[in-house]
Amino acid sequence: MNTRITLVFSAFGFLLLSFCRNRQDELFTKPSHFPEPVYKFQENPLTPAGVALGKTLFYDALLSKDNTVSCGSCHQQSAGFTQHGHPLSHGINDLLTKRNSMPLFNLAWSTDFGWDGGVHHLDLFAISPLQNPAEMDESLPNVLEKLRYSKTYPALFEKAFGTDEINTERFLKALSQFMLTMVSANSRYDKWMRNEGGALTETEQEGLALVEQKCAPCHSGVLFSDFKYRNNGLPTAVNTDEGRYDITLHDEDRFKFKVPSLRNLAFTAPYMHDGRLGTLEQVLEHYSSGIEKSATVDPLLVKNGQKGIALTAEEKQKIIAFLQTLNDESFAKDPRFSESDAAPAPELAEFANTDWEKVDLRTDNPVIKSTLAKALSYYWGIKQGLLTDNGKESSRSAKLLLNLLENIDLSTAAPIQKAFYLKVYQDLGFDTEHVAETESVAHQRDHFGDLSKNLFRLIKSFKTNDKPLYYYTCPKAANGIGGFWLSEINDEKGNPFFGKNDKKCGQIVMTALE
Amino acid sequence: MKNLLFVVGLLMCSPLFAQKTGSLTLQFHNKVGTEEVVLKDKQYTNALGESFNITFLQYYVSNLRLLRKDGSEYVVPQDESYFLIRQQHPESQKITLNNVPKGDYVGLSFVIGVDSLRSASEVSKRKGCLDVGGDGKDMYWAWNSGYIFVKMEGTSPQIPLTGNRKEPIFLYHIGLFGGMGDKKTLNNIKVASLNFGKEKVKIKADKNVALGITTDVSKLFTGTTNVSFAVNSTVMAGPYSAKIADNYASMFSYEGIQK
Ligand code: HEC
Ligand code: HEC
Repeated sequence: MNTRITLVFSAFGFLLLSFCRNRQDELFTKPSHFPEPVYKFQENPLTPAGVALGKTLFYDALLSKDNTVSCGSCHQQSAGFTQHGHPLSHGINDLLTKRNSMPLFNLAWSTDFGWDGGVHHLDLFAISPLQNPAEMDESLPNVLEKLRYSKTYPALFEKAFGTDEINTERFLKALSQFMLTMVSANSRYDKWMRNEGGALTETEQEGLALVEQKCAPCHSGVLFSDFKYRNNGLPTAVNTDEGRYDITLHDEDRFKFKVPSLRNLAFTAPYMHDGRLGTLEQVLEHYSSGIEKSATVDPLLVKNGQKGIALTAEEKQKIIAFLQTLNDESFAKDPRFSESDAAPAPELAEFANTDWEKVDLRTDNPVIKSTLAKALSYYWGIKQGLLTDNGKESSRSAKLLLNLLENIDLSTAAPIQKAFYLKVYQDLGFDTEHVAETESVAHQRDHFGDLSKNLFRLIKSFKTNDKPLYYYTCPKAANGIGGFWLSEINDEKGNPFFGKNDKKCGQIVMTALE
Repeated sequence: MKNLLFVVGLLMCSPLFAQKTGSLTLQFHNKVGTEEVVLKDKQYTNALGESFNITFLQYYVSNLRLLRKDGSEYVVPQDESYFLIRQQHPESQKITLNNVPKGDYVGLSFVIGVDSLRSASEVSKRKGCLDVGGDGKDMYWAWNSGYIFVKMEGTSPQIPLTGNRKEPIFLYHIGLFGGMGDKKTLNNIKVASLNFGKEKVKIKADKNVALGITTDVSKLFTGTTNVSFAVNSTVMAGPYSAKIADNYASMFSYEGIQK
């Protein structure tokens, strides 16, 4: 009897196993001509819900301090998951990072990550951009808090991991799950390798032979990288980034960088760790005549005292022709990886303009309460200036308001409140600055409507006022576009958009605290 | 039936097993020389006569082992052997080891920092004070995956305000576990060994013993190398970190059994 039970159990287990296997296979299949991946999938088995969660996170700007930058901002699918047209990648507050964004594909075959290989596990990588002041400038605990406060993420985590707990491990593993599915192996070269039809032309095949002869062992194998750190002779005067040395502190590693893949080069320009070379012609020019000799330059590039790789013009053309066969158009368009196909970032959707009246983030936080009370008092000053056509007064009050809003200390606020404040402040600060910098009432009125709207939005969402606040509109204002203002009385007579030429057209459209 | 007996036996035995262990509490006292560490408000002077205050202080203690007279050791189970001592959180300065087998102990050793195996482990092994999205958040280099073992920050008026520097701050973030596989990097892992002296530490069943340990953090910049705030105000993952790690290897001393 025992044996029968064992049999039944093993059959069941086998079924279960093969079921899991199939699901994993659908999400990640090793291309038949690729080596075995190095990522340990058994530690993080891919599931459809895990991959979907990873994708939502990857494209969610909530991961950055001011909710403006997502992983996808610097890793764009159409650019082979690099940042299109940026030699040095471009992060939060328009800051530049010190390096060129790296392409993201075939990550399951990498043992370490970053141009200098400082991160030794894919799961650990995301912490780096997240916390880099020039990338997303957030902290991991803060991001986790924002996700926990979100209305939608707990359910997504539950689907992916069984319970709605949101922790470091799950967050990082979900991102990895998505990135691991990004396998690029459908270029013309790949199909030819797998005998799936589509031949390479004679020129292309000659190009391949040249690459195998001149560019390997560095760009070797079907992944076109030996995954080592090498100095390919880029002149160092241009950039003092010492690459691998910063990690190992060994002199022999100065100016060495990870050998990148040669796949998808059509999408990933500009090239090299600092994006200094814009075209493949320039790359080949570098290899044939631009190599700089140095203590660590790769010996393969300085043979018999001769610098560079000897290449005739014809050979260069053949190499470029071959490199084109490594472009995987289907990867660059695959909807499984595309942002447009990603579920809308949940948190930002809740903040979306359309239903902002419904946002309820009521708080007792004393800093937020006192700041918004004070903000209103400065706001009355701006409005008074406009009611009396006194641009000087409006400007002075706007300066005070700007200073107040800019310097609010949100360290005690809950992450969701912080996130919302920063989101609204982006616009509120902009309009307040414009009212402050001029004494022309006409220009001030161009910005006053939006200023009023966003201040109202903060107060209404945080519910910090203890007196009703009325939100007025006058459709004739701002040349018929309509303008908004706030008041604490419900039968306001004046109109800040027309001042002394009052058109008597104000009407209440909304109230905070009925 | 046999199984049932076995289970009953287990249930009966387990309290007996439990009775053979006690617990040991280690109370860390952070000091500068002989003075208590007080964040921000207290001024100290280093060996080179530079005055300073401390604004942040945290360090890892891990891989604890208790030594018996015969040379054998009780090794605290790996997953329970990581602690982060945080100046701002007094409760973190007191760590308790449960289930310590009863007996006489003559010494204690631990790693200052996080061992290389755990430093290289996958995320599921990074819980509690090793959670970089939780308590370990200030103790991790994201770009160079590794824990910061000892982190001390403060100000010293002797630090010159040159270049971009707007405040006279010093930052000592010391880590580096030796790198992965054949990719060796600097290894700043140090082991502290404390001897209990004549007074043996007796662990009795179901009893707690508390020991006091002094951490003299002035050792970071005093010892084989006397570190100047003015000259080396920022030390992180660079070669100079080895000198600070060599210095602080001797910062722990045993105080005795606490009443
Ligand atoms: C501000 C731009 C920026 C943002 C935002 C950004 N990255 Fe990157 N990414 C880079 C740059 C630059 C590099 C190269 C880093 C280096 O070598 O120092 C990189 C490298 C990587 C790598 C290593 C690839 C390899 O082959 O070694 C991974 C993985 C990665 N990013 C994932 C992410 C994830 C996940 C996010 C979101 C949490 C993200 N990135 C956000 C710019 C960015
Ligand atoms: C000695 C090893 C070596 C050889 C030989 C070599 N490369 Fe490279 N290659 C590298 C390294 C290392 C980098 C990254 C350098 C950096 O960014 O600092 C690189 C970068 C590149 C890049 C930029 C890719 C990107 O994503 O930015 C291209 C393209 C390239 N090599 C093409 C070639 C071609 C074509 C050949 C043969 C003609 C060749 N390489 C020969 C080591 C080598």
